[in-house]
Amino acid sequence: MLILEHISKTYGNKNEKAVDDVSFEVHPGEIFGFVGPNGAGKTTTIKMIVSLLAPNSGKIRINGIDNQTDILGAKKQFSYVPDNPELFEKIKGIEYLKFMADVYQVPASDRQERIERYLDIFEIKNAVNDPIGSFSHGMKQKLALVGALIHDPQVFILDEPMVGLDPKASFELKKIMREHCDRGRSVFFSTHVLDVAEKICDRIAIIKKGKLIEVGTMAEIREKAGSQESLENIFLELTE
Amino acid sequence: MKEIISLTKLFINESLGFSLFFYNQKFNKKEFYKQLFTLIIVPVALIPAFFMYVSLMSATYFGLTLINQTSVFLSIGYIMATVLIIVFGVMYILSEFYFSDNIEELIPLPISQRKLIIAKFLSILVFEYIFAAFILIPILIIYGVGQGMGLLYGLLSFLVFLTVPVLPLSLMTAVIMLIMQSASLKGRKDMLQIVFVFIGIAVIFTVQIWFTSQLGSGDEADFQLLMNTILTNNEGLLNSIGYLMPTSFLMAWALNKITLMSLGWVATLLGITLLSCALMVTVGNRVYLKSIVSGKIIKKGKPLSGAQRSKVLGKKSHGAMAIFTMDLRLLLRTPVYFFNNVSVVIIAPLCILLSVSFIEIPPEDLQGMQEFFRAMPILINFLLIAFFIFFGGTSATTASTFSREGKASWLTRMIPVTARDQIVGRTGVAMFIQSLGIVFTIIAVQFIFPLPLSTLVITIVLGILGSLPILLFGLFLDMNRPLLNWDNPQKAIKNNMNVVITLFVGMAYTGLLIGISGLLGYFVNPILGYGVFALISAILSVVFYQVISRRLEAEFLNFEGN
Repeated sequence: MLILEHISKTYGNKNEKAVDDVSFEVHPGEIFGFVGPNGAGKTTTIKMIVSLLAPNSGKIRINGIDNQTDILGAKKQFSYVPDNPELFEKIKGIEYLKFMADVYQVPASDRQERIERYLDIFEIKNAVNDPIGSFSHGMKQKLALVGALIHDPQVFILDEPMVGLDPKASFELKKIMREHCDRGRSVFFSTHVLDVAEKICDRIAIIKKGKLIEVGTMAEIREKAGSQESLENIFLELTE
Repeated sequence: MKEIISLTKLFINESLGFSLFFYNQKFNKKEFYKQLFTLIIVPVALIPAFFMYVSLMSATYFGLTLINQTSVFLSIGYIMATVLIIVFGVMYILSEFYFSDNIEELIPLPISQRKLIIAKFLSILVFEYIFAAFILIPILIIYGVGQGMGLLYGLLSFLVFLTVPVLPLSLMTAVIMLIMQSASLKGRKDMLQIVFVFIGIAVIFTVQIWFTSQLGSGDEADFQLLMNTILTNNEGLLNSIGYLMPTSFLMAWALNKITLMSLGWVATLLGITLLSCALMVTVGNRVYLKSIVSGKIIKKGKPLSGAQRSKVLGKKSHGAMAIFTMDLRLLLRTPVYFFNNVSVVIIAPLCILLSVSFIEIPPEDLQGMQEFFRAMPILINFLLIAFFIFFGGTSATTASTFSREGKASWLTRMIPVTARDQIVGRTGVAMFIQSLGIVFTIIAVQFIFPLPLSTLVITIVLGILGSLPILLFGLFLDMNRPLLNWDNPQKAIKNNMNVVITLFVGMAYTGLLIGISGLLGYFVNPILGYGVFALISAILSVVFYQVISRRLEAEFLNFEGN
């Protein structure tokens, strides 16, 4: 569903790679967690996947489509919610949702049903006629999530999705992620909350200083680490 | 004091982006060189205009010596600088005091309100001093050299110069703070700003038109009296003009002739300036933070029922239409964007209407004018075309279209909208605003003389077509180098070189295109003139469209570095 092949990225200093030869694959029906310390290259990798940054080398395929040669085709395959979703402050919540439904060409009946459902789940139905500028950080995140789910993406990509969400919304999001994968789609997300990653991810990748140091299921990671400890402990050992 | 200095430095750094500049120097060379280029090219580009201004002022001084009225020279400079400081200062004050994000981070810190106000005021003042220096220093030097003034004049001039931006800015800041604190305006910050600036523009314009009409209606005896006063009394003109801004008298009395009294006048000016600062700090201390808190309240909408939500969401729109609607909403709902992109289409036709209402054109002159244009329709056609292009081509709409989105631009870059839809939607907004200007202008012009149908068709079609290459050029520039790192929407327009470049290129292109096709139309055949105009516009539009549509999706990947 999502394939990264030898992806590298440098910013100003050409000798220092923000992402260094990263390769992995996210399978259909899989929740894939991406963990690593601050500045390890998680957000840079995600930005390259969602076409917000161009890699210096390597290929990214989303649902079989190369996101460098068919940018638009690739964009139709995924939805993305950044860690701090900056939205148009002067626009009302409902106008934003309509915009998202329009640009993804979601049929009228589907868009209404999905929006109603997610507005209910995230409890922002009453706020949807307010300007986004009046929303709290958590509400903006909920709105961005609803907007991202409108077109029922093949790959749902999230950067630190639990930050800013209240416990109920966080719980609901995890449920939505699982349901999404149960329908044969995939979820790829970065997180610092290792408990969450351990509990809900089918597979996990650990990145450190731009390099992928581990990929696999929890059982595989434990086996390689030769330890039965929690992901948190293994993570700390691997990233020290 | 240390705290005020450090806060002022912080605000200036934030406005000019020094930290980002030095960061780019180390880590993003490409962007650093772009910024460096802009830093060099802008002052260099302004040099010819500055020399023209100095020459104009020298000529004015020389003209005044001929009619024995040099005493008014310094007052002219003072009033000019003050008016420009007021005009530009309104937006600076509103931006720094009310629309800058830093205040939310500073309120919880143990910094007194007084220090915040002074530091914010000083940070605005630094820019206004640079501005005032360009206007006033040449005038002070020309007068000093012309009158053979000495060192004391230099010293007193410097002291007077120090007061020039402070006085109007402090008074204006106090007034703005009082208006913004009004509790009844809670949640209507954007609307208030739009109304506030429109009232200001309307007042300035009405006063100007009224003055013009009064001069126009004055009989010959009044004019003779004014001329006699000017020629017999070397301060006659100063007295007439000085009433526009009473403090300009103090400045003139202090510097026109250096005597012991000059020291007294300068001290008075300094005293008034300090008093105005004290007034601003006192007013601010009472109302500033209160108004910030109430200003942060955003007016909420009424909750929608299920049926209402269905009604909104049920209407499916094309990608281009979605982009168009979003861009237009942002333009209309953000005051800074509204002023820079939309207000001109209201103000310019309004100017025509007000001029017609206040200034009576004798019927025989009007008839003569109508006959003249009827005899040579090509003249009025190209005149109107130029005016219509002005609405579309010189506005900042497409040249700031991506920049206006700022940190929310990730959304635009992530959604699967074709380059064609992006171009059509964004250019469509500029053309829509232009069309409003065209309609308003046509209505206003009808009051002077009715336009024939052929003129209407030719000017509307060619006016829109002629501005299309400029609109696409602006879009091309903003696609290549959008300004996305801003904390205040004003920066997306005012600090955006794309807007300036498009404005100058647009004006030069319009002049050239209308010049060439106008001459062909006048001397060879009108159809040829219109045809060449349409052909050049169409070819350039197609070229720009092709270039943008090929590059847009790839350029979205490079936005991060800007």
